[in-house]
Amino acid sequence: MSRFSAYLQARAALCLLLWFVVSVNASAQVDFNRQVRPILAEHCLQCHGPDGEKRSADLRLDVEADAKKSSIVAGSPDDSELMHRISSTDPDTVMPPKETGKILTEPQKEILKQWIQEGAKYSSHWAFLPIANSDDLLKSLPSSNADSASVDRFLMQKLEQASLTYSKPVSRAQFIRRATFDLTGLPPTWAEVEAFENDTAAGSEERLIDRLLASPRYGERWGRHWLDIARYADTHGGAAIGFTSFPFSYTYRDYVINAFNNDLPIDRFVKEQIAADQLGLPDGDPALAALGFLTVGMQFRNYHDTIDDQIDVVTRGLMGLTVTCARCHDHKFDPIPTADYYALYAAIAPSKSPPELPAIGAVTDEQARQQYERELADLKSKVQQFAREQNEVLRNRLRMQVGLYLAEIAKGIGEQDLSTQFLSYRTDDIRPLVFNRWRTWLAGMSKEDPVFGPWLEMQSWGSIPEAEFQTRRDEYLGRLSAELDAIGRTPDKLHALRGEPLKWNLFVVDALIEQKPNSLSAVAAVYGKVFADQQRTWLQALLESSSEAAAGGTVLPDDHPQHQVINSPSHRQIRHHLYADGSPFDLSDEDAIRLTNRTIADLASGKKGAIHQLNLASPGSPPRAMIVTEDPLPKPTHIFLRGNPLARGEVVEARFLTALPGDHSKTYESGQRRLGLAQSLVAENNPLTARVLVNWAWQNHFGMGLVRTPDDFGTRGQAPTHPELLDYLADQLRKNGWSLKWLHRQIMLSQAYHQGAVENEQSRQLDPENLLLWRMPRRRLEFEAMRDAMLAASEELDVTMGGRPIDLNSSPAVPRRSVYGFVNRDVIANLMSTFDTANPNACTARRQETTVPQQTLFALNSDFIQDRAARLAVSTKEMNLASDAERIKVMVRKALGRNPNDSEIAQAGTFMTEATAYTTTPEGVATDPERGWVLLAHALLASNEFTFLD
Amino acid sequence: MFNQSRRHWMQTCGMGFGGLALANMLQDPAKAEGSGGAMQTHFPGRAKHIIHVFLNGGVSQVDTFDPKPELTRLAGQMLPFENLQTERKTGVALPSPFKFEKHGQSGIEVSDIFPHLSKCVDEMTVIRSMHAELPSHEMSLMLMNTGDQRLVRPSLGSWLTWGMGSINENLPAFIALCPGGMPVGGAGNWRSAFLPGAYQGTRIDTSNADPTRLIDFLQNKRLSNAEQSKQFAFLQQLNAQHQADRPGEAAIESRIKSFELAFRMQTEASDAFDISQEPEHIQKMYGEGPQNRQLLMARRLVERGVRFVQTWHGDMQPWDSHSNIKDEHRRVASQCDSGLAALITDLKQRGLLDETLILCTGEFGRTPSVEMGQDGSGASQGRDHNHWGFSLWMAGGGIRKGMVYGATDDFGFKAVENPVSSHDLHATILHLMGYDHQRMTYRYAGRDFRLTDVHGEVVHPIIEG
Repeated sequence: MSRFSAYLQARAALCLLLWFVVSVNASAQVDFNRQVRPILAEHCLQCHGPDGEKRSADLRLDVEADAKKSSIVAGSPDDSELMHRISSTDPDTVMPPKETGKILTEPQKEILKQWIQEGAKYSSHWAFLPIANSDDLLKSLPSSNADSASVDRFLMQKLEQASLTYSKPVSRAQFIRRATFDLTGLPPTWAEVEAFENDTAAGSEERLIDRLLASPRYGERWGRHWLDIARYADTHGGAAIGFTSFPFSYTYRDYVINAFNNDLPIDRFVKEQIAADQLGLPDGDPALAALGFLTVGMQFRNYHDTIDDQIDVVTRGLMGLTVTCARCHDHKFDPIPTADYYALYAAIAPSKSPPELPAIGAVTDEQARQQYERELADLKSKVQQFAREQNEVLRNRLRMQVGLYLAEIAKGIGEQDLSTQFLSYRTDDIRPLVFNRWRTWLAGMSKEDPVFGPWLEMQSWGSIPEAEFQTRRDEYLGRLSAELDAIGRTPDKLHALRGEPLKWNLFVVDALIEQKPNSLSAVAAVYGKVFADQQRTWLQALLESSSEAAAGGTVLPDDHPQHQVINSPSHRQIRHHLYADGSPFDLSDEDAIRLTNRTIADLASGKKGAIHQLNLASPGSPPRAMIVTEDPLPKPTHIFLRGNPLARGEVVEARFLTALPGDHSKTYESGQRRLGLAQSLVAENNPLTARVLVNWAWQNHFGMGLVRTPDDFGTRGQAPTHPELLDYLADQLRKNGWSLKWLHRQIMLSQAYHQGAVENEQSRQLDPENLLLWRMPRRRLEFEAMRDAMLAASEELDVTMGGRPIDLNSSPAVPRRSVYGFVNRDVIANLMSTFDTANPNACTARRQETTVPQQTLFALNSDFIQDRAARLAVSTKEMNLASDAERIKVMVRKALGRNPNDSEIAQAGTFMTEATAYTTTPEGVATDPERGWVLLAHALLASNEFTFLD
Repeated sequence: MFNQSRRHWMQTCGMGFGGLALANMLQDPAKAEGSGGAMQTHFPGRAKHIIHVFLNGGVSQVDTFDPKPELTRLAGQMLPFENLQTERKTGVALPSPFKFEKHGQSGIEVSDIFPHLSKCVDEMTVIRSMHAELPSHEMSLMLMNTGDQRLVRPSLGSWLTWGMGSINENLPAFIALCPGGMPVGGAGNWRSAFLPGAYQGTRIDTSNADPTRLIDFLQNKRLSNAEQSKQFAFLQQLNAQHQADRPGEAAIESRIKSFELAFRMQTEASDAFDISQEPEHIQKMYGEGPQNRQLLMARRLVERGVRFVQTWHGDMQPWDSHSNIKDEHRRVASQCDSGLAALITDLKQRGLLDETLILCTGEFGRTPSVEMGQDGSGASQGRDHNHWGFSLWMAGGGIRKGMVYGATDDFGFKAVENPVSSHDLHATILHLMGYDHQRMTYRYAGRDFRLTDVHGEVVHPIIEG
């Protein structure tokens, strides 16, 4: 063991010790939720947990009654099978089994032992318990810190128990820098720093925070945090080549920014994002854009995956629950059965994007608007015509392919999964959608159907030997023939316009009798030929009868024998199956265009692409909300067994998760299912949403949440470091109108938020993870804040808000805020992944934080930083300052928000003199005297002081 | 978990391109857990590096490594079974226009479009029984690279570099070389998905011969070296003063280290890509053209400790010979044949072949039956995509030498004997690198994800005993 790891182990032991100090209550009992549940979840529940299908030995350890039936004897570890198993040295009996790779440590075994000794008391998982009343929580605190802010009282209680204290508070200059970055993602200007330092009157911090919260820059900063959760991107994702942009994703981004700026109550914010279309908003209300929360996600090829992504963003993003784990099986660790997943699926699946999105804003340029509308109308009519015509082509081809589909059905092939369709270039491939429609069509028919009755009859015989098939066929067809003979089957009846249809279709019965098919496949071929012949004669008859009407044609009476094909009931019996509403051929234009073949589909998407392009780029294209609308008469939702859409289990209704308190028999009303879901999310008795949102805000202030697994509040996530504080803030948030700005004030006016980001060896020994918040964690500017801060330092920042995205990689740079940058989820820009921006393909509750040399290469060599440095140099030159020392001072103020000391000024001066001694660039161009200033500005922008906050 | 994170933090603090400095780790165990980092191998691995040669577009197995005399016998006739469904309609049997010969001690048959590579068969295992799921480039590319044709998942290279970290901190651990553009599926082929962004493949366009332009921001185009050195010294002075007032801050320390690395890399990384530094006979052995050149680059990178190098044949789908396979396949093969042979020979003579796994594959194969063009005839003399069966080869890194594994049917349409899926392939590769694919997991969104999801079996017979 290396010395370092020995040191770490020692630290780990200390850490454990600390846990006992802070988490074990007066009677020193083991706490189930905090100490036992995580052990069970990590090591046992995969096989002895909620997932019924994978459960071993019929043992369930997450349910008290089950566990105590067989493996735990409360109060007696020695008699408990569980203890025997986990202590066993026999590889055949030891638990967890070796192959799981999970090993229980001795301290963990000790905890289990003590817990059983103490009666093996279970309690519900903390996250599912109701939020405690904030007044009661306050009352339970010691009165010693009663003068402190509520937030501090909770924190200080635990610090004191652990003999820890807050770090020394930061200076006023540091505080304004921290607060300004925190709330606006930008540095304070030097004037703001000075003003704050000079404002010594009471309430100066309140005034500062209020000023920052009132700045439109606030919504841009916190909106960006939210966009991480919402997996915001400006492209569809999944493109084989290049990418496809959303023309209107920006309307969601702008909605979010406005919502934060307006301090829209968070419950309302949640509701609008799930169900803005069902809240009775007027047409064209900009809040409709909130639905982008559901629709700006990855556009999967398979729509079940799209719904899965929506369930994920709703549950993991808003409630910290990993519900999508239950898509294929019951959740292995949390009480989320598969039925709950599909109950949410049922709430979301009936909603689709309408073909045309509603405009939510005007275009000011009237001429551009008119031109846009003209072009749009023109393109739309072209698309429609193309689709309609291709639909005709496809339908007529399919009518010739009846035999192909029946042959497939004869093989006994079942329903096809439409979610993973693959379209070929061939016209003679089976189209799975059409195949499914054939199955449905035939399923709706009886054996008395004049055309398909014989098919159904012979199909019902199942697979029988050929000889038997022949016998039964002859007998059956003989009977049909006799029945026809009895009615009379005179040929002249065939063309009678007013003739009565016969009981059995003559064409079908005669063809079967004549061709004597020996199997169902052969019967399919007979039907195929009958239908193809009929289709041919019908098209021919149409041509002839319409030619009669042409100039020079001879018009015949409608009941003329030459119109026999058109008029005769026997022909019409066949054509019913080719042309009726709901027949397999009754395809929508939209389906047809996708199904014809790849060539046509590509052409059609090219035409649609022109509309897309127009919406994307035309100056007359109004902003539109990426809404969904809900089908009021949705199909029933079945559980997909093992996640397979074709393996249908029981029907589930749209309703909320059973793990959470509430009336679970209450289902969501069809047509308003998302509204029901939205209400459940923010309902009084939902303990998760408010906690998750408080935790999210806390994390964005302190760099880490009270729950450090912000998207997993389940049993395998980490329990809150300060459960009472979390509940206090969650309860208070709701009581204060779900106001996020209220929450910011509570947090930022606390002493905890004022403490320095200062290391303290002693405190670190006691609490290595800083769980108790004895210091402010060191924070580094994220990509957006870094980029924006550079633009702010060089005074180039353009604070225009909203609108279509800008290119963040362009050179020269577009000096707008980074939140307005184009987010491409197909081609994730190197710059973005290098700086750990949120993964736009899934809900990101917390960004990764890495340090790699690509980041520092950017600081050393990028055009972006050097252009900003050049501008910063120019801006200080233009001020015509009295001396170089003065100019250095101003430059440092602009870059770092503080005054340099004399020695720093001297260093900078020396550096510039030395650096500019080299008078030529790599290209051999002589440099101007300003070059040293640019080098200095560049170094300041690249420095750690610029990047790290105190 | 706790201790492992600490150990890992120690290993990677201030690490370079390939690794991670987990800045706030001491303050934050949750982050440490999520970011994982070097996962110790489960058992001693056979290979330390992978060079994945991607012949994108779909290599025809019956024209390269899977000779089918039955096709010649039935030339111009329909196959005795219904042609399997592929992307386009196919017709009669199309015999290979190329000559096959047995090579080496092993007698493995290779067609004459690989005159150089065929001399190296005794180093290879040829798998003739690969299969994918759909005849679509994009989906099959995703399947081959990430193990999932639908969902956004990390690529093999990302998984491995996440697990193993880098040997040379001055270079990215995972590099994707592609001349003149991007394969179908673009950066999705080397994405890190939910793994940290640092494990995404660094893509380098090798059509650009100037090694200093290959990595973003590697060179400063405005400053002279002397100026930059001065500036760098000043910058680190500023940083040192800043740090002096803030002792014990891991994040600050690691960014300072990172600056040092970045500064060194400016020269070292350029060198790695600079094949003009190779002796002439080596350059000659690899041959002309970007495909051959980038294979030499791959060797230089592996030699310097890069973990995973992927070389793409080119933009879009160069091996996608829907028509005139005779000329098309010969043309694309000639672009990489000498380089592939040289790569094997060169790694071997440097003693690097044993620890470097070479994997050469496309995303799927091609039909043995002729593709019916738009006119419905087979006049195109090309082949359609075929996911039912295809071939690939591997060499080095613990792979058996001179072996053929698995087989397609008599016509080379479908894998029938010992079929191998991409999951099996991934499981085998992880095994060769020292990982049990079932235990190499990453917890994300509450689930322990695996490269092989719930599939995959190690193909033990192709592993050297």
